Amino acid sequence: MGLYSLRHANRSVKLGALLFLLLLGYAYIFAFLMVKTWSGLTPERVAATYLPSPSMDEMHMATKSHATTQPLDLGQVPEMKHTVDTNTLIQDSHIHIMIYAIISALLTLIILGLDWPAWWRDTVIVASFGFGALDFAGQWLIKFGVSGFAWLTIASGWGMCLVYLIVLYSTIRAMPSGSSNRSTL
Amino acid sequence: MTLLSIALAAALGASAHPSPKVVLIKHADFIRQTIPAKGYFVRTVTIGKDDLAAIRKASGYTPDDPDVQFFLGQDGDGKTTGVALFQQVDTPHGPIEVGLTFGPNGAIASAVVTTATVETKPWVQEAIASGFMKGFVGMRQGDEASKALGGTQRLSGMPQYMAELIATAVGRGLVLYGTLYKESAA
Repeated sequence: MGLYSLRHANRSVKLGALLFLLLLGYAYIFAFLMVKTWSGLTPERVAATYLPSPSMDEMHMATKSHATTQPLDLGQVPEMKHTVDTNTLIQDSHIHIMIYAIISALLTLIILGLDWPAWWRDTVIVASFGFGALDFAGQWLIKFGVSGFAWLTIASGWGMCLVYLIVLYSTIRAMPSGSSNRSTL
Repeated sequence: MTLLSIALAAALGASAHPSPKVVLIKHADFIRQTIPAKGYFVRTVTIGKDDLAAIRKASGYTPDDPDVQFFLGQDGDGKTTGVALFQQVDTPHGPIEVGLTFGPNGAIASAVVTTATVETKPWVQEAIASGFMKGFVGMRQGDEASKALGGTQRLSGMPQYMAELIATAVGRGLVLYGTLYKESAA
């Protein structure tokens, strides 16, 4: 038994929970488009966004510079490679992790009313907070040169998606059942 | 289906958080607009120890990438009409990139901010609006790029900071061009 039952909660509580989840999904669609445009959807592209630039290998550097010149097709000139440097990642981390915490806390408020078994409720709550933390853990590991952890960032995104869908599905199921009870929350 | 779309968006939307860059002018357009030419070429210079030492001595700066690209245009007689390079500086608000074109005399003929980010774009535009970018024109290696900031007294805060970063990028570009670009290089 949770702290309250969303199924038997006041209609306004149900409305607030459902609209929050729908608006969150709406925001996620644009987050998806942003990532698709600026970072990429594959481990290779995610890693390329966060990997530090190759440093000068002075040990194996030739004494003299050497140059090669090739014809240029202006239609093939690459634009600036989009990367996230350490300072930008610090900035991204400080705001995004805080937002993740707030979103997870709000999801937890809904989860507490979903009449789930305690073990399942706790699992989803831990997953909600944990995936947010692992998302940025993956980005920082890439930044530290461990490019193989791009999968962790992507998997964490999928994990957050799963938590969101589970909560959304259960919230929608709790909507029609039970008449609004003004005496409960 | 709607749920699936939201799922996909949620999953991948939460997977990374880049600061969106804003391309103010495409590289190809910058090259085409600032270098009138019959043909265009790209010269990739791999920095050697001697030149790296010279770059560090001149600017205290170590390039991130050992390969530096110069984009050059040539007229019908094979004479170089201009050389462009793009120099990036990182900020806590994402990278800024400056495009520089050097004329046949080796002086800057054009300096333009080619890429900013969603956050920095308004500050960059305010800095550019002060007109200080014109101060870079005519500069050569050895000139102090920060002298162009003399016209930015009315700027303050972030636009002033952006102007200083742009000057840093130009200064590094001057050093890279002066040190690495040799007209006779194959």
